[in-house]
Order: sequence, then structure tokens, then C-alpha cells
Amino acid sequence: MVNPYLTMQGITKRFPGVTALQDVSFQAYPGEAMALIGANGAGKSTLMNVLGGVIRADSGEIQIDGARVEIDSPLSATANGIAFVHQEMAMLPTMTVAENLHISQFPTRGGLINTSETDRRSAEVLRRMGCQFTPDTRVQFLSTGDRQMVEIARALLTHPRIVIFDEPTSSLTSREKARLFEVIRSLKTEGVTIIYITHFLDEVFQICERATVLRGGETVGSGMLKDLTPNAIVQMMIGDIGIEVHRKRETAATAEPILGVSSLSRKGALRDVSFTLHKGEVLGLWGLLGSGRTEVARAVIGLDPIDSGQVEVRTDGAGMRPIKPGQAQRWIGMITEDRRSEGLLLSMSVKNNMSLANLRGLANRWLLVRGDEETRQAQEFVDRLNIIISSLRQPVGTLSGGNQQKVVVGRWLQVSPPIIIMDEPTRGLDVGAKAEIRNIILELAEAGKGVLVISSELEEMMALCHRYLVMNRGQIVRELPGTASRNELMAAAAGVDFMEDR
Amino acid sequence: MSARSIPADAPGASWLRSAFTRNRLLELLPFILLTIVLILLALFVPNFFNSRNIINIFVQASTLGLMAIGMTAVMISGGIDLSIPSVMALSAIVGAMNLRDGGSVLGSSLLMLLVGSLAGCINGFAVAYLKMIPFVVTLAMMTIATGTSIWITNSVSVPVVSEELFSLVLDRTLGIPRPIIIMAAMALIATLLIRRSVFGRWLYAVGINVKAARVSRIPATRVVFGAYVVSGFFAGLTAIILSARLGAASANMGNDGVVLDIVSSAVVGGVSIYGGVGGPLGAVLGAIFITVISNSMNMMQVSFFTSLMIKGVVIIAFVFFDSLKKR
Ligand SMILES: Nc1ncnc2c1ncn2[C@@H]1O[C@H](COP(=O)(O)OP(=O)(O)OP(=O)(O)O)[C@@H](O)[C@H]1O
Ligand SMILES: [Mg+2]
Repeated sequence: MVNPYLTMQGITKRFPGVTALQDVSFQAYPGEAMALIGANGAGKSTLMNVLGGVIRADSGEIQIDGARVEIDSPLSATANGIAFVHQEMAMLPTMTVAENLHISQFPTRGGLINTSETDRRSAEVLRRMGCQFTPDTRVQFLSTGDRQMVEIARALLTHPRIVIFDEPTSSLTSREKARLFEVIRSLKTEGVTIIYITHFLDEVFQICERATVLRGGETVGSGMLKDLTPNAIVQMMIGDIGIEVHRKRETAATAEPILGVSSLSRKGALRDVSFTLHKGEVLGLWGLLGSGRTEVARAVIGLDPIDSGQVEVRTDGAGMRPIKPGQAQRWIGMITEDRRSEGLLLSMSVKNNMSLANLRGLANRWLLVRGDEETRQAQEFVDRLNIIISSLRQPVGTLSGGNQQKVVVGRWLQVSPPIIIMDEPTRGLDVGAKAEIRNIILELAEAGKGVLVISSELEEMMALCHRYLVMNRGQIVRELPGTASRNELMAAAAGVDFMEDR
Repeated sequence: MSARSIPADAPGASWLRSAFTRNRLLELLPFILLTIVLILLALFVPNFFNSRNIINIFVQASTLGLMAIGMTAVMISGGIDLSIPSVMALSAIVGAMNLRDGGSVLGSSLLMLLVGSLAGCINGFAVAYLKMIPFVVTLAMMTIATGTSIWITNSVSVPVVSEELFSLVLDRTLGIPRPIIIMAAMALIATLLIRRSVFGRWLYAVGINVKAARVSRIPATRVVFGAYVVSGFFAGLTAIILSARLGAASANMGNDGVVLDIVSSAVVGGVSIYGGVGGPLGAVLGAIFITVISNSMNMMQVSFFTSLMIKGVVIIAFVFFDSLKKR
């Protein structure tokens, strides 16, 4: 039997109000991928933060290749051959891809940055990852998925012996995912130890050899995947959950328009986008990464400027009425794909984040926020969405990734606007929570709201949408009914069918 | 799925205690420093603790404190307002001229508030709607206001002689001079509003993360605009009190040293230069702290320039503590 390359033993980590890790043991093997699995808040990221030197454990020890090591900073983790692809990305948006890749160790010549070497290395690693953009692109102009690829590329540059992936695919579509898996496979043949955190069990079975399951900060099981089934893993993760998954209707409940978008255009991003969203409808924007789905959402809500086009909404009672870009928020709620930079106020409490969009509704006639009502509503949605917190006053930035996402969702459920745009609404959620949020989305539609959903997960789209708009290069190229099959959707996204149709 | 809350247990609490003490310590630092300074003063400056001097310090601190409250609103929004003292001086001059030319006390006071708020509107418009950089905008406003003040007064101070105004602003209530009461009242009202009002919440949200605030349907542009108007308003309010106290209004009222004092007050009081953190009460305590330092150095006959230097060092120290807190 192979000896583990990495052994973590008796790791305990406490935060104010919670024990995130309780005597956790963890092992990973060279040339293999170890899946680290667990529900939201189980302690996966915390365990890896300990390994990556981001935080220090209260107790426990780490051995690499049989020798005990002290890892007290990200730098010492790098020195020990550990690379970490974080769940929450930390990029320098105004700097170029090459600069972001090399920020911690620029190749130098005579004390100055060797730019040609920097560019060469960047181009090489980007090619290996199959990325389309050049090293001199500024990161702020990249989509979330592309940024994720940069983040992964950055980890590979140091020629690590252990690579930690914390939910690397949560914003990748199948194509990028396939490329990532290629990279992981080649790393494995080089004998690198991979630790892979994800909520997608299919990925686990596709790319990993072993799995370790955490639950409530403790190790509950570990083994070879060939001896395990998805059901057994879910059972270990969350126990028996009787979530009944709602089924969508075949078509929207009504044909009454609630949001009308005509000829939306923005140079370089969108071309002549027009569509109508109906009451009671879940409309899906489907397409590859960078096909302009997010751009449509952002333009509709007025987050990005537009060159031309018009947005109309049905305002109470009256018919459709054109609105100015800045006004859209009055009727439209939006869950952005990047919860950290465009969703949450990380230093503020869970409670204040939950009420953020609803402060007017919570105000008394003196325009003071009613504190008791604010607490009551926050608690209501914390319970309903099963958000794991130690107190309503906990800063939202200290929640686990999935629980942060639930706070964003809870915020809009509290306001309940007539139209909701959701960009990757279940990103980072565990299986149970995903099912719950999907149920909620269907319930919203049943209640007569219009929902525009963007998701890179085909299963999710198929479970939710009454209709699909297929996007390609900033244009809506096709419309598909809710009954469209898996293959039809895949082909449409790749633009195959589209050519034949014309 | 059942609710999965993890209870705190005993060893966890010790970690908690140490985290608590570190941040707490940083928060209490101004008070600890103040205490040390006060003890030193008691030992080395004989007349410091005489009640006249104490009251005097508070009266001096009141104008600084009011301006610091205005600055707090702007700083929480993530900006800075360097024009407060010069706008204060301009408001005082305009009001004083109106009074001199036979205007009523009420009218002149309102005029001061109006001029201050108007300047705030201009700052706010440039920053919020034209997306200009606060530092540059308010620096320009500072020179404009000072220039205007000198121009309309010919560098001569305008006397403020009105028993009515004096008794309104300077009398004592329950033995406490009005400026102190006004400052305390304003600090309390501002604290209540900033903590509990919708605008206050929006202000913090905008200061912490504008993009997230916008997405959460917060009218960020209007909120930022509002912050500068508030700061202008407080400049006007300060103008009323200070012109009455000095019995005159002049361009000199808002000299450069005052900006430094305001920023120091806010920073010492825990208002972050990065935005989104702190409150008016802290800023007012900061103002008292700064005034104590100035006053005591004055009494110890430290030169004006030395005292500027020492205050500069104090600011840098507190900005450093602020950056510690961020981690
Ligand atoms: N800095 C912190 N302060 C307080 N609590 C924290 C902090 N960091 C993590 N926690 C808590 O530790 C627990 C474990 O969090 P962790 O991020 O490891 O979960 P996770 O397994 O990665 O979940 P997810 O799948 O949602 O990303 C959570 O309850 C979280 O709230
Ligand atoms: Mg995590």
C-alpha cells in the first residue's frame, strides 16, 4: 500500500461561537486526487486554510512525506510545495493576467521584473489550461469563469507537490471543466497530490480516487471511491434528508408579460438583445461562459451602461412601462454571480446584510429602522434557509461560502420584488441546499413572480426553466421550450444547431 | 435538514477572549491614551484641572466636535471633506455681514446654515454625480471658499455684535455653556440617526462596498451626495457658534491647522479613512482628545509649530492602529 504524502492529524480549530474543526484527521496520496466533501459549513475550507497557512489551527500536526512540518503562513505553505486555489477569489482587478499570476514571485533580471520571461511563463501556463485570453488582458475585463482559470493557473506556476482546489468548478461550464480535468489528470501522472473540494458528486467520481467526508467539523468517513456510492456519501454528509424536489410545470403559468427588453446593445458585449419575461415564468439564459448571459442581466438592472435599447416592466396595475436604467432596482432584485464583490458587505453582520435591500420596508414613519422587526425577519430566513451562523451579529465574511450565498438569497426573499434575476443562485451550495433553493425558485414562479435564471449547471437549468434563451457572443441566437432535451441544450450552446437552422 | 448550530464550548471561549481583548484594546486606545495624558497633565501642568480650564477645553472642543461629526458622515461614505473649515469661515462671514447690515439674528444664523449646506451640495454633486475624486473636489472647494472669504472681507474681520446672538449661543443652561450642550445633543442625535436610520445604514453600506450597495437597491449616488450636505450643514452650524464666541468672523477662522484637527479627531475616534467604520460619538471624543493635547501644549508653552508636529505624529499613530484593526 502507498504511504500518504500528506497527513493531517488531530486538527482542531475554534472560532468565536463555533468549533469549525474537531480533532480532524486527513490523509492524501501522491498521484491521486482526494475529494473533500461535506455540507455547507462542515469545515472543508477551514481545514484547507490550515494546510495552506491562511489560518493556524489551535492544535494538531501536519506531516508531508513523513516529515512533520510547521505551516504558519501562505509563504511557508508554498515553500512546502502546497498550492491553494481558493474558493473565494482574490485578484487584483486593475492588473494584467500576467501580473496577477506572478504577483508573489516575479522573475527578475538585475533586480527588475523580467517582463518577457513573465509573459512567456504566463502564456505557457495559459496555453496548458487552454485559455483564450492573452497574458496582458486586465483581470477586470475577464468573466468570473476566466478569473477562476487564472486563479488555477497561478497555483500551477509554483510547480507544487500538493494542489488544493476549493470548489474550482463552481463558475465553470462543461467546456472549461473538461480542460481543468485534463490539467488535474496530467498533474496526477506527475505524482502530484490533489485535494479536491466540491459539492458536485459526479465530478468526484469522475476525477478522484478517494474521498473524505466532513460533517459538523468532524471526519465521519474516508475511503476509496470505488467502494462508495453517491448515496452512501450523501448519507454520510447530511444523514437522511427527505427533501422533496418540486417538479416544474411544462410551461409558464401565464402569458402575461412582466419584463420586456428590446434591442439592448452594448459595444463589445451585447448585440440587439430582445426578450419578454412573463409572470410566473422561470426563463433561463443558457450559453457558454462568456456568451453574454451575465452581461444581459447586468444591463437590464442598470449595473452596466448600455448604448441603446429599452427595458419595460409591468408596474402595479398599469401595463408595461419603460424605465430608466437607474430605476430598475425598484422592481427587479438581483443575485449577482460574485457574492463577495457585488453582493455582501463582508464586515457587516448577517442581520444587516439580510435587511440591506429591505431597509425602506423595515422603516417606521421617522425613517428609523425597526430593530426588532429586522431581527425577526433575519431570523425567519436564517431558519428557512438553514443558514449556519453562531449569531445574527456574526460578520457575514466569516460564514462558510455556501452560507454566504444563502444570505444573498435570503435578502431577496425578504424583499420579494416582482422580478428576480439570479446569476448562479446555487453556486457553492451543498446538494441539500441546492434542492431547497430550486424549490424556492419554483415557488416564486408559482406565486406569480418573473424569474430570470443564469446557471452553468445543465441539471439546474433543466429542473427550473419553462423556456430557454440561448446566447452566443452577446446575442440571443435561439429560443428553446422548457421540454428541450439535454442534447438539444448542449448542442444549442455550442452553436451547432444554430448554423443548420439558418 | 435540521438546524445545525454548533454550541460554543469552554476552550473556544479562551480564543474568543484573546481576540476580544486585542480588538477591544485597539478600540479603547484613545481612552487609555487620554488617561495617560491626563495623569501626566495633573503631574506637570498645575492649573490644568482647574474647573475653568476644563470648561474652556470643552467649549473649544465643541466647535471642533461639530465639524468632526460632519466629517464622520463623509468619511463613513468613503470620502473626505477638506473644505469644512474654510466653508465654515465663509458661512460665518456671510452671516456676520448680514447681521452687520441689519439682518436679524435668526435670519443670519439660517444664512450660515444655508451657505454651509450649499457648499456641501456643490461638493456632493461633484463627487456623487460627476464621480470626481473627493480629495480633489474638496481641496478645490477649500481654496474657493477661502478665496471668496478674503475677497468679500478684504482680509478684514467682520465684527459680530449682538447681545441676542450671544445670549442665544453662549449662555449657560444648568451651569453648562450652550456650545457644549449643542455638541452633546448633536453627537447623540447623529449617533441615533446613523445607527438606526435608513440613511445611516445606507451610508455604511456605500462606504463598505458601493457595488454591493447598488445591487441591493441603495440609491448610492444620493447617499454620497447627502453625506457632503450633512458635512456642509455642520460647517454652517459651527460657524454660528464660533462667530458668536469670537465676536467676529474672518477668513482666518478656517486656517489649515483646523482641517488637520478635524481629521485627527475622526481618526482618533475610530472613524476609518477606508470608509464604513466608526461613528459620530467617537469623533466627538476624538475632538476632546485633540483639544486636550492642543490646550495642554499651549499651557506648557510648547510652540505652535511643535504642537503641529506632535499632532501629526498622533494622526499617523492612529492611522497605524486603524490598519491593525483591519486585519
Ligand atoms: N473567521 C471565522 N470566524 C468565525 N467563524 C468562522 C470563520 N471561518 C469559518 N467559520 C465557521 O466555521 C465553520 C466552517 O466553515 P468552512 O468555511 O470551513 O465551511 P465549508 O465546509 O468550506 O462550507 P462551504 O461548503 O459552504 O464552503 C462555519 O460554521 C463558519 O461559519
Ligand atoms: Mg468552503
